[in-house]
Amino acid sequence: MTLTADERWNLIEKISNKVVTFGKFKHTLKDALGELTVKPLTGIPIAITVLYGFWSVFSSFAGTLCTDGFFVKLFDGHFLPWVQSVFPGVGGWFYYIFVGDPAADNCFEAFGVLTSGLFVAMGVVLPAIFIFYLMMALLEDVGYMPRLAVLVDTIFHRIGLHGYAIVPSILALGCNVPAVTATRILETKKQRFIMMTLLAIFIPCGAQLGIMQEVIPESIGIVLLYLIFGYFIFGFILNKLVPGKSPEILIDVPPYQKPMWNNIARKLRMRLGGFLKTAVPFVLLGCVIVNILYLAGTIDWLAKTLTPLLTGWFGVPGETVGPLIAAFLRKDLAVAQLSAIEMSKYQMITSVVLVSIYFPCIATFVMLLKEGWKNLIGSFAVLVTVIFLYGGSINLIWSLLGVQ
Amino acid sequence: MNDRIGRIYFGVLGIVTLIFGITDLIVTMGGNDFSWGILEISSDMFRGGWGGIIVISAGFFYLSSLKNFLEIHQLSRALMASILIWILAGTDIFVRITESIPGGEEGPWFNSLEGFLSTYAPPYPPVIFLLPFSLVILFFVGKRKKA
Repeated sequence: MTLTADERWNLIEKISNKVVTFGKFKHTLKDALGELTVKPLTGIPIAITVLYGFWSVFSSFAGTLCTDGFFVKLFDGHFLPWVQSVFPGVGGWFYYIFVGDPAADNCFEAFGVLTSGLFVAMGVVLPAIFIFYLMMALLEDVGYMPRLAVLVDTIFHRIGLHGYAIVPSILALGCNVPAVTATRILETKKQRFIMMTLLAIFIPCGAQLGIMQEVIPESIGIVLLYLIFGYFIFGFILNKLVPGKSPEILIDVPPYQKPMWNNIARKLRMRLGGFLKTAVPFVLLGCVIVNILYLAGTIDWLAKTLTPLLTGWFGVPGETVGPLIAAFLRKDLAVAQLSAIEMSKYQMITSVVLVSIYFPCIATFVMLLKEGWKNLIGSFAVLVTVIFLYGGSINLIWSLLGVQ
Repeated sequence: MNDRIGRIYFGVLGIVTLIFGITDLIVTMGGNDFSWGILEISSDMFRGGWGGIIVISAGFFYLSSLKNFLEIHQLSRALMASILIWILAGTDIFVRITESIPGGEEGPWFNSLEGFLSTYAPPYPPVIFLLPFSLVILFFVGKRKKA
């Protein structure tokens, strides 16, 4: 027996009338709160508050309590003098690589593998990454992240992405490596390319944020503002230039719920484990390579060669070349190295922005390569353009404002 | 009855919250910290500027919840206003906790009991004064749940 379309619909209606009970949907307080967080007029102030809470807890836990409260004292007051006194061969190249400057009285300036390397990795970056991922997991578990995705959907469409781009963007604030993987939730090649390029260039990782909080606490807001502007300006340009589609999304928004601590602990363990395995070796390796380059005279030679470009176009000292090389291995290490160079506040801001938008760290580079060499070449071309245009424009702004 | 009490209470709280938020912004724009008795308003961009915008938002949330106060959507606005204040006050308290534990640059590893307690002494930012008053929303939420 064959049924026509109308007969089929009639049959469906009859069956559903018998088996489905229709009731009146009653809003709960959770539903009403959920609605407030996705409507722009109420959702934006809430998002601003969540970000405030996130940043305040991040800086006071990682900066005030862990790093300044205990780790600086531990490393500068006890560990550094001990290593300097027991490590053999003061003045030798082996000593220089592992302990660094024998006259240094703090771990930021020593720049050895066992001094600056361990201090940056364990004393500064680890607490920052820990608290970042803890709060991130909390927001995910409570159910705020999908609502944030809905809220920012319209803004992200302007740069060829959609609301879910907020997930890799925020993940990148922890570490760019999982963020590159998270770009797979975007549907088209165009979206993935734009997202990967933007996060590799404009989003500083948690490690870098931790170091920035330590080295330039009073200027961190300006640096972040530059990066946010750059993110949207170049996102807008890329959306116009890159061919391809930017489709709409349908998001299933779960109700707000109490966080499950087992879930949070598991996520935290997994992400911290990933950080310790991928980032810490690169920090230590970074110290070794940069120290070898210093000993071989390569950095001095590069600094002399590139000084006209660095001072003329970007307005930063020639010595910045060392941190720029270190930035290829770890950007947090590079910012730490910048703190030891004598320069004005404005030069420091420009240098930190340059280190941020400069080539992605090697771990991110490998992840980008995994996603396809064409993407990598494209991102690299955008990156070179961004460094020269955006980096140079910052110097231009300082010149126009009459500050240097 | 509850509706009327709620409207009056959160109306007053909304206005006070709004005034505190505006004062936060004015002090930030002025560039000097403001102190009056046990009240202190910071002029830094993060706490005064960004925080001020949040306090103003909370004030508007309270005021927009007044009409038909016990209706679920309106009540949720007042609850959200309180949540904004809890986040702000919570982070202020957290900052004090993180400052109170270590012993300082030249001191011992941990703070002395005296030093620890003195961190929690006044002056306080406005949002700390708003905190106990914002908790009243829990009474109305509880009442609604029971009903």
